[in-house]
Formats: sequence, structure tokens, C-alpha cells
Amino acid sequence: MEEIFVPAVGMAMDNVVLLEWLKNPGDTVNAGDVIAIIETDKTTMDIAAETAGVMGAHKYQVNDEVPAGNTIAVILGPGESE
Amino acid sequence: MSNLSKEWAHSSLRGMMLIREFEETADKLSLRGKIPGGIHNSSGQEAVAVGVLSALDPLDVIATTHRSHHHTLAKGFSAREVMAELFTKSTGVSRGRGGSMHLGDFHRGHFGGNGIVGAGVGIAMGAALGIQQRGDAKVSVGFVGDGGVNTGRTWEAINMAVIWKLPLIVIIDNNQYAVETFVDRVTGGGDIAKRGEGFGLPSYTINGQDVVEVNEYTAKARQRALAGEGPTIINALTYRYYGHNVGEKGQYRTQDEILDWKTNRDPIDLFIARATSEGLITDSEVAALRDDVKKEVEDAVDFAEKSPQPDLNSILVDVDSGLLGGK
Ligand SMILES: Cc1ncc(C[n+]2csc(CCOP(=O)(O)OP(=O)(O)O)c2C)c(N)n1
Ligand SMILES: [Mg+2]
Repeated sequence: MEEIFVPAVGMAMDNVVLLEWLKNPGDTVNAGDVIAIIETDKTTMDIAAETAGVMGAHKYQVNDEVPAGNTIAVILGPGESE
Repeated sequence: MSNLSKEWAHSSLRGMMLIREFEETADKLSLRGKIPGGIHNSSGQEAVAVGVLSALDPLDVIATTHRSHHHTLAKGFSAREVMAELFTKSTGVSRGRGGSMHLGDFHRGHFGGNGIVGAGVGIAMGAALGIQQRGDAKVSVGFVGDGGVNTGRTWEAINMAVIWKLPLIVIIDNNQYAVETFVDRVTGGGDIAKRGEGFGLPSYTINGQDVVEVNEYTAKARQRALAGEGPTIINALTYRYYGHNVGEKGQYRTQDEILDWKTNRDPIDLFIARATSEGLITDSEVAALRDDVKKEVEDAVDFAEKSPQPDLNSILVDVDSGLLGGK
């Protein structure tokens, strides 16, 4: 299971907002696929998966504020559940 | 038969493994926002740190750079106190005031990391002058990157060390890149070590992924410095596995290049192969060391998380001589 989270990179990581989900629960995910797009004070950023699997539940909704470092979803491996 | 001692092989391997485990762990914690301000990960450069520091005396001085976790751990600072500093906790090496880039302790011969690229050699040169003035049987080592080595102040310091025959060793922790800039694009004359000739000091380009080679060249430079013959430059070719700073999404080098260094020139793998073939270590001993450093780093994270932040009332401690209320 891979946890997809908002990385705390750079200084301006307050007020991170989830802009868009590109994968929905149950979708097949390949390594490198962009899962979500977030927006910080300075820029927008793609959040990608490192491993392949099946997309889990959205832990945040579009326009939610997400504290840096927090997990927004998990990618499930074979036989795994949330 | 090996000309290495079993003890040296085990402690050097353990030292490199500890740095790797520490850095990979710190990287993750930093991405999760647990370590404020980010870090400069030294994964891949372990043999430079351990090769140099294993050739030094504990009282010898080092001055380093913005990328200094590996030098600091190799100097014998505990994973606990370094991790606690990354967390800016009061139990850290710099009592939580410095963070990742300002690890240091003058009393233990560590004149610090710093955020000024190219400053390490000048600081180490000053320390070498102090050593010479006092007549101490010590040396001073200045670390600098392949980017920092193109700063004027670095060569100013080297020149002074040459004319005064200071006990200085300059280590170029040459990881091929200065942020996104490839070393060959910005290095006049090609091999940096050739510059030593113009400045009148021995200067070597060596394999920085070979901990034994780094150790041998450093030991030789130390002998020369102690004999009053002056400084030496060692340009150790190495590679950083991660981005310049944590979370960097670099487009300036290929995945193939990174993979090549990781699979064919990894300092830990290379040394395990050598130590195993020379009968210095067994597979189960290697596995035990891996386990051991993993536990040490887990314990360090636990220690750092549980440690308190510095007390606000202590803000002036170490800042003034007592006039303002510090000491
Ligand atoms: C005087 C100065 N110039 C620029 C910077 C910005 N900067 C920080 S690290 C860095 C690259 C340094 O590269 P290198 O010396 O090769 O060290 P490495 O990061 O590879 O360890 C730069 C340009 C700085 N901190 N100080
Ligand atoms: Mg560099």
C-alpha cells in the first residue's frame, strides 16, 4: 500500500488546496500516474503515484485545504483493502 | 588476505549504512513536514564522509557545507543528536537553533555546516592557522562541493594555506552537480585537481565511491599536514542519489544516469563486495549491521520526536556574553 500525500516542499506550504482528482476510487493506477493536482500559494503541483495498484477512497474533496504532509489517498496492492 | 583490518571494515561499513538509513528516513520525514525547512540529502556520498573521517583523529577539525549530515555522522556525532537537530529540538547538536544546515560543535572539532556555498574551506583554513599557532598536533579539513570549488574565496584560502604551510586538507565532495548544473559545464580546465599545480600543492582526483581509496589519500594528506609540509586537495568523485534539496523534481539528469551510479558504483555495495571477497565480513554480519543501523535510526527519530523544543527563555543563550541575559 502506498500512501499518497501532499509533500512539504518549500516554504510556502500553508494553505494548500486540493484542486482536482485525476483518479477515482477503484481506478487502476500505474506507477507515475498523476493522482491529484494541488495548489499552493505559489504554484500548482501534480501528485503522482510511485507504485501501481488500485485507487482507494478520496480522503479530501476538491477545494478542501490539506495540511502539508497529510495523506490524501492510498494505492492498494493486490489483495489489500483500506 | 586483506590489508584492511576486520575492525576497520566493520566500522566503516556500519558508518556508511548508518548515513544511508539516516538520510532515507530524514527525507521521508521532511516530505511529511515533520522536519522543518527541508534537508540536503547526502545518499550516495557515504564513502567520501566515512573514508575521510576514518583517517582523522577525533580532535581534528572539520568545516563543512550545506550538505553535512554525512560528515557529521561520520565524525562520530550520534544519530540521536543529529536527528534531534533536524527536528530543531533542544537535544540536538546545536540545541535546536541550527537545524539541518547548521550542525556543529566547536568543542568536538566540528566547525559547522553553513549556508554559504564555498565557505567551508575558508573556515577550515582559519582553524588550520589556529592549530599551527598553538602548535597542536592536529589537522583541519574543509569540505566543499563541485559548485563551491569555483568560488574565489576557496582559492584565496588555499593560497594562504600553501604559503603558510597550514595543516589543511581540502576535500571536494564532488557529486557532479551544483543544484541543476553539471560540473563539466562550469569547470574550466576539466579536472579540478590540475588547479593544484598552479597553487603549488599536491592535488588528486580519486574515486569517491571507494571508501578505502578515500581513507588512504586522506591519511597521506594528514601525514603531510602534520609534518608541516602544508595542504593537500582531494577531489573525490561521487554522486548524489536524491535531488539537490528534499522533494526536488529534477529534469536535468536522466533516470539511466542515476540508476547506473546506484547499481554499478554504490559505495556500500562496492565495499560489501570487497570486504566479503577478502574474508572480512559474512552475509549474516552484513544483515546484522543493516538491522542495527535501522534500529539506531528508529530510536533517533523517536528521541527527536519526544524531545522538547528549545525554551523561549533560552533564546539569548550562546548569543551574547551575558550582557543581554545570555551566557
Ligand atoms: C554564496 C552562495 N551562492 C549560491 C547559493 C545557493 N546554492 C545553495 S547550494 C548551491 C549549489 C552548491 O553545489 P555544490 O557546491 O556542488 O554542493 P552540493 O549541493 O552538490 O553538495 C547553490 C548555488 C548559496 N547558498 N551561497
Ligand atoms: Mg555538487
